[in-house]
Amino acid sequence: MKDNDRKRYLASVTDRFAKGQMGRRQFLKASAALGLAGLGTSMIGRPSGLFTPAYAQEALTPSPEVIAWLKDVAKPFAGTTLKLATEATPPSNALNSQLKGYFEEATGIKVEIEILPLEQVLQKLTLDVASSLGTYDLYYIDQSWAASVSQDVFDPREQYAANAALAMPNYNLDDFLPALVDGICVYEDRWVGVPYDIPVFIMIYRKDIYDQFGLKAPATLAELLSNSEIITKEMGPTVYGTTGQMKSGHYSLECDWTAWLWGHGGSVFGPDGKFTGNDDRGLEAMAYWDKLKATMPPGVDGWTWDGQGQSVAQGVAASMLSWGEFFPYFDDPTQTKVSGLCEVAVPPAANLLRTSAETGYGEIPGVGHQGGSSLAVSKYSKAPDAAWIFMQWATCADTQALITSLGGGTGPTRASVYEDPRVLANARVGAGTTRHLNVVRETIANHMGSEPDLPEWAQLSSDTIPVGLGKYFAGGYGSAKEALDDIAGQVGKVMEG
Amino acid sequence: MSVAQVKRIAISDSPVPWLAPLVALLVVFTVYPLLYNIWLSFHEFVPKRRALEFVGFENWVQLWGDTRFWSAMGVTFVYFFVALFFQVTLGMGIALLLDAELPGFGMLRAVLSMTLVIPPAIAGMMFLLMQDPQFGVLTYFLSQLGILDQTSPILSTSSTALAGVLVVEIWQWTPFMVLIFMAGLRALPPEPYEAAMIDGASAYQVFRRLTLPMMSKVIAVAILLRGIDLFRVFDYVFVMTSGGPGTATYSMSYYAWQQTFTATNWGYGATISLVSLLIVIVMANVFISVFKIKW
Amino acid sequence: MHQSRPTRLLRTLAGWVVVGIFFFPIYFWTTVAFRNAKDIFNWPPKIFVFEPNLHNFEEVFGISLTLGPQVVNPGGGNFYMAPRLLDSIIIATFSTLLAIVVATGAAYCLSRMQFRGRHHFVNWVLSTRMMPPVAVAIPMFFIFKQFTLLDTYTGIIIIHAIMNLPLAVLLMKSFFDDIPTEIDESALIDGASRWTIFRRIVLPMAKGGIAASAVLCFIFSWTEFLFVLTLTQTSLKTVPVVSSTFVTSIGTAWGNMAALGAAAIIPAFIVVLLVQRHLVRGLTMGSLKQ
Repeated sequence: MKDNDRKRYLASVTDRFAKGQMGRRQFLKASAALGLAGLGTSMIGRPSGLFTPAYAQEALTPSPEVIAWLKDVAKPFAGTTLKLATEATPPSNALNSQLKGYFEEATGIKVEIEILPLEQVLQKLTLDVASSLGTYDLYYIDQSWAASVSQDVFDPREQYAANAALAMPNYNLDDFLPALVDGICVYEDRWVGVPYDIPVFIMIYRKDIYDQFGLKAPATLAELLSNSEIITKEMGPTVYGTTGQMKSGHYSLECDWTAWLWGHGGSVFGPDGKFTGNDDRGLEAMAYWDKLKATMPPGVDGWTWDGQGQSVAQGVAASMLSWGEFFPYFDDPTQTKVSGLCEVAVPPAANLLRTSAETGYGEIPGVGHQGGSSLAVSKYSKAPDAAWIFMQWATCADTQALITSLGGGTGPTRASVYEDPRVLANARVGAGTTRHLNVVRETIANHMGSEPDLPEWAQLSSDTIPVGLGKYFAGGYGSAKEALDDIAGQVGKVMEG
Repeated sequence: MSVAQVKRIAISDSPVPWLAPLVALLVVFTVYPLLYNIWLSFHEFVPKRRALEFVGFENWVQLWGDTRFWSAMGVTFVYFFVALFFQVTLGMGIALLLDAELPGFGMLRAVLSMTLVIPPAIAGMMFLLMQDPQFGVLTYFLSQLGILDQTSPILSTSSTALAGVLVVEIWQWTPFMVLIFMAGLRALPPEPYEAAMIDGASAYQVFRRLTLPMMSKVIAVAILLRGIDLFRVFDYVFVMTSGGPGTATYSMSYYAWQQTFTATNWGYGATISLVSLLIVIVMANVFISVFKIKW
Repeated sequence: MHQSRPTRLLRTLAGWVVVGIFFFPIYFWTTVAFRNAKDIFNWPPKIFVFEPNLHNFEEVFGISLTLGPQVVNPGGGNFYMAPRLLDSIIIATFSTLLAIVVATGAAYCLSRMQFRGRHHFVNWVLSTRMMPPVAVAIPMFFIFKQFTLLDTYTGIIIIHAIMNLPLAVLLMKSFFDDIPTEIDESALIDGASRWTIFRRIVLPMAKGGIAASAVLCFIFSWTEFLFVLTLTQTSLKTVPVVSSTFVTSIGTAWGNMAALGAAAIIPAFIVVLLVQRHLVRGLTMGSLKQ
């Protein structure tokens, strides 16, 4: 169908829908069939900074069944106030700015969400847990902290079973992708909340540049390196082959490290619980990383994923293996120079992968490093029941579909949400796109890597390891072996406590 | 209390009623945290048992042998001396420069003080952006001048990272010193200067023999106030470098924060804080006695 | 001091250049507030040429001028921060008032009254500023929780006032030291009480000093970070802490951050401007009589 015709037909469809001459389902089907690029720009004005719903606002409201359940179950709790501190991720932003209102209206429970950078969330969490003061009712728990706080939250399975009166119908704990449950929430056979968000490494690359050089999405690590070298050689220093998140002393550096480490058959820990990042495979990974770094812009040493994302968004880097959450941002023409030019693929295949039996502390090697978080109710909360109601609502399939549609195309943690028509409808070029979600889902299923779970991991991953690696890349060690051996020593000291 | 009693206290020469509110507030704010931190330094937080356990002198012993601690101390001292040096000399220089009724100088003096009203955390982010190796304005200027190689990012190269942070520090706080010094200059008596002019003294001689000695008290107190804050540097490191690269910008306050929150070693964090406090107290007291500052 | 014309010219030029250098980062930052991300990240960086727009300000302040009503949610958008500006103003103003009220009397006493251990007392006051911030923040967290001061305006006002007391006391003491004690003594001989002397004679003479101390207290409260971070949750936040919300998981919203930052300079700068005459004239650390 020609573009003009499509737009005209779309307009008439929309018109009929707005006039009530067409049911919602029909409208969704019709607009989906037409491809929603037209719908997106005709219904809404210029897209706002980071998040743009491709739908009319009316289509994106919670389902009536959910609202009815909320009104019913929350009656005794009206007037309570719940507090939560979370990272500024798209789901949290979507909840806080747009969806929370529905919950508050239906239940009379006030929800206050504090949105902070990750380090500050950790500070608040630590303080609250260590003092058991119950300042927060719900916790946002990054998977690297799960082991430290497993005893301070309720296991949602127990909550669901214990409170029949408060259990949400069709909440369906099995709907959460099992790989995510294992990687994010499970610690010593407890569930530390339910998976809430899943930033995971996928391969994002500039199709136009790749086409220019006749390159295809890298299927192996070697291809990634050779692709990046070609691009850097031909287009540098204006454009580099790839980029990284390698800020010294920051968690992001550790994330990058694990991708290459696991990709070369290495692991952080061995089955005996000792650090193995400095074994032969670990050193192989470092050698590879050194070569790859030469194809990255010089700024990588000072960037977290933030700077990394900007380098792709502003056209300085031609590819990145990083959080899929960035992808919708890249498609926003007001913020980036690469809207519509990027494509996604699953991470390059690992050369070799250790199995979990060969690693320690539940570490699951995989090139697609995941940084998911869970949402859980605090044991010290003064209003655990009200908090449980909110938690169920915030993580149910309906709300998650809304979050994904409104919240800039972030990856859902529930299998059913991937198929939700509202989510599928957003799979077009433009801010808030969801066209990368197939790749995200496949990565989760087949290529995901999860960090080890132990109480000291927060310190190791946010400080010990990235400070050592940062020093290495700044030239503070004679060789990679020396650096990793030193890190091994320090890890040992921390583990001894 | 009866009115008569209140009146009697007000008339009497006892310092107590004047100082009581101050003491009350300060005691809560300082004595309790001090005691708490001392107590904490003899304990440690054990995550498995969710409790603080007594560990005796272990934290202190560990501190003694901790290379990262000594490195942090070194970083803090370097930061302290370099920043202080530049802030005092530049501050004095600019104060002398702007201490005149030349066109627009009133406005210039006001504009200069704008750097002080920017929260340090934001100033840090500003300069982070300006020093970005790919897109930064400062990087651009420096590379045009040939001083900087674009492949060595300022904040990620060990040798220049601290300098990158110091730039913000000096930029933001030199005006603080300028304000204090300008006020000091304004209060100087004009007679000695008139005499010097009659005698035909040069500007340099006037400065060295007249201004400097008369301003010494002002300079000393300014150094004291600023020095105390310099030693506790946290905001810039937190926002700009996370102590990196490696440990090149790891300050003592940052180390204490990191140990307390990321590592949940509360006792160890408290120990670091106490040592930092001790050093500052000693330095301040030495300074006060050397410069004969008498309150 | 009279200087020759060329010297004056040179000096004027030098003054403008120096202050210009200091001002440049502020200028640059303010322009970032008016840009899209596309224009912030360029090489060579765009200093003067870019497409200005009010986008960032609208998101931060929730007013829609050029954007449609669906896009900006007044009072509910992701980056709506305007109330925080108000919080900052309230906290800085009241904590300054509290600090000055407590400090002035104490400073007068320390300046005029001799008592044993006075020197050490002042040293102690000064030392209360020497603890690393994190060492004080945590015990304060517990105390605040105990007295339900957590996440309240009162709590933060108190802590900021206390934080500024050493500075205020020291500064004001110097101003009082500058005022000759003979004035006090002659009034005492005439039978006036300390309190009367303080209120009616000395205080008015120290107006400049009070103004100067007030401004510095305001600035330190306006820019303080760690205490507000630790001791507040959702009821209130000040500009420095809320600025870090712009650091999201998918990138830093530099434009919005700059918008808030630029807007935040204005109230504080107004305070400085109003008082700057006194600041420069009155800010002597005294004790020039050696």
